[in-house]
Amino acid sequence: MANRSNSRRAGATIVLVLLLVLGLLIGGGLSVRSLIARGFDATTRLRETLGISRQSLVAQLDEETGIRGFAVTHDRRFLFPFTAAHQILQPQLADLIGRLEAQHVDVAATAAIDARDVNGYWLADVATPLLANRPARDPLALELDGKALIDRYRSDIETINAALNERTQETQQSVRDAIDRINIFVAFTVVLIAAIGAGVLEAQRRSTQRIQRERLRAEREEREAQALRAAYAAEKRIADSLQEAIAQRPLPTIPTLRFSATYVPATDESMVGGDWYDALELPNNRVLFAIGDVTGHGIEAAVTMNRARQSLISSALLGGDPGAVLRRVNEELYAQRAPLVTAVAGFADAGTYEFVYATAGHPPPLLIEPGRRPRLLDCGSLPLGALAGTEYKLYRTQSVPGATLVLYTDGAVEHSRNVLEGEELLIEAAAGAAQQDEVDTASFIHATIFAGRPAGDDVAILTIAFAGVNAAGVHISADDASSAFAGRLGRGPAPGTALGRLAS
Amino acid sequence: MSAITVIRLTGELEIGRKDEISRALRLTGSERSILVDFHDVTYADSTSLAELLRFRRDADAHGIPVAIVIGSRQFARLIQYAGLSDAFTVFEDRGAALTYLSASQTS
Repeated sequence: MANRSNSRRAGATIVLVLLLVLGLLIGGGLSVRSLIARGFDATTRLRETLGISRQSLVAQLDEETGIRGFAVTHDRRFLFPFTAAHQILQPQLADLIGRLEAQHVDVAATAAIDARDVNGYWLADVATPLLANRPARDPLALELDGKALIDRYRSDIETINAALNERTQETQQSVRDAIDRINIFVAFTVVLIAAIGAGVLEAQRRSTQRIQRERLRAEREEREAQALRAAYAAEKRIADSLQEAIAQRPLPTIPTLRFSATYVPATDESMVGGDWYDALELPNNRVLFAIGDVTGHGIEAAVTMNRARQSLISSALLGGDPGAVLRRVNEELYAQRAPLVTAVAGFADAGTYEFVYATAGHPPPLLIEPGRRPRLLDCGSLPLGALAGTEYKLYRTQSVPGATLVLYTDGAVEHSRNVLEGEELLIEAAAGAAQQDEVDTASFIHATIFAGRPAGDDVAILTIAFAGVNAAGVHISADDASSAFAGRLGRGPAPGTALGRLAS
Repeated sequence: MSAITVIRLTGELEIGRKDEISRALRLTGSERSILVDFHDVTYADSTSLAELLRFRRDADAHGIPVAIVIGSRQFARLIQYAGLSDAFTVFEDRGAALTYLSASQTS
């Protein structure tokens, strides 16, 4: 956006500069044009002046002819050319001097003044004595003086004519130069106007192209968004149906233990991931509990979840402690290069009130015991699928009748991004649940933590309680458990699951 | 000449920053020892922790010592969840981590 407005500003600057140059060119052209006009005027005036100069020569010839004719014949009729020329010559010379001075042809002006003076001398020293018919000197001397003055006069006129011709040529040359210059100006102007025109057209073409490109991009983005939405929807459907499998496996009914569980998918469909839990009664009176979470979201996470879940049950059936169970799952997932999986797996012994478990990159189990504040147990080994040959620490917790073990996925404690705060909230919620009689512990804890707020991530919670006197002082047994949780155990999907949502 | 490569990330490491995180946590081949400075990190989701674990594995495979600095208790707790406290040499401040890495180089 900033770039575009910058380039637009640059474009405007270039156009402004071009217009300025165009203005200068036109201004220059006009001044040259007036120069040419002045040049033409000057040439005309120079020609007129040259004409007057030539007439001055003719007039002087007429004067001389008249005087010569009269001197030879003494007939006054011969004086006519002299009389006619004499009347105009001095004013003509004055006019000539004025024009030459005005036109600053200085050499010619000086020559014209000399010509006027020479004509004056000639009139006084030669013409007047001859007209009076009483020459002061001998005729030959007079004739020689007259000839010298006439020659000087003619030479003056020649000087004037030469200077005028030279000036005329100069003026004409400067006019020719100016015309050349104006041609260059015109050529430049034409090129510049063409350039501005081309620039304007180019800018228009570009903006049209840009609009076109933006429309195409908007269309493409809309198509991509549609495709993405469709892909999300498809992935969400598949993930949902895989997730529903969790709820469809009923929790076991065992006289000495009672279970509760909840699974709430992320409200943001693209965040639906691979959370699961399991509780199974195994041969030899062993009760397996497990909870897990696959790194990532969507279809791959859901598929890995299913694989990890089956692997964990198979591994548990092979025997061994929870550490051994997780070790085998780890090897299998590592070999398959599956996404990382975090999990807790363990056994509950209702005879000894002992929980034995191992964790793999997963938040720790929480233990609620009657008369005590709930506490987080130990945790800490690498996630499943991270490293071949990982050993999983085994934890044993000796507990009491009425105790409840709470397993959960990270969504239950990481909703605020502050896991320590999340743990405190979880402990508070568990303490609240312990005070309730006949409560679905898992749903109660979930409801207390989120209090109607949407969860950004999937949350699964599984609880396993030993029969006995619970925190509320109520003796619980298998019968109580089955009556309290018949809805959860007998009638398929829980209200919080995706299937439950679809059903409602 | 110090041959300790320092990689620093801050804030909340989550899937939205996956590209940035995996770019930061990538061996170039010239490292001799690495200090991962997470002093100002307060949160990491499982995707980011998986990246960190992968990085640790890669460094291990090349025999490059890695020290990690953790400044927030929240983040330390997440590291404990992930079982990474044992996998990494963890320090609370940068100076101690650098001293450790320098010593591991000379030895």
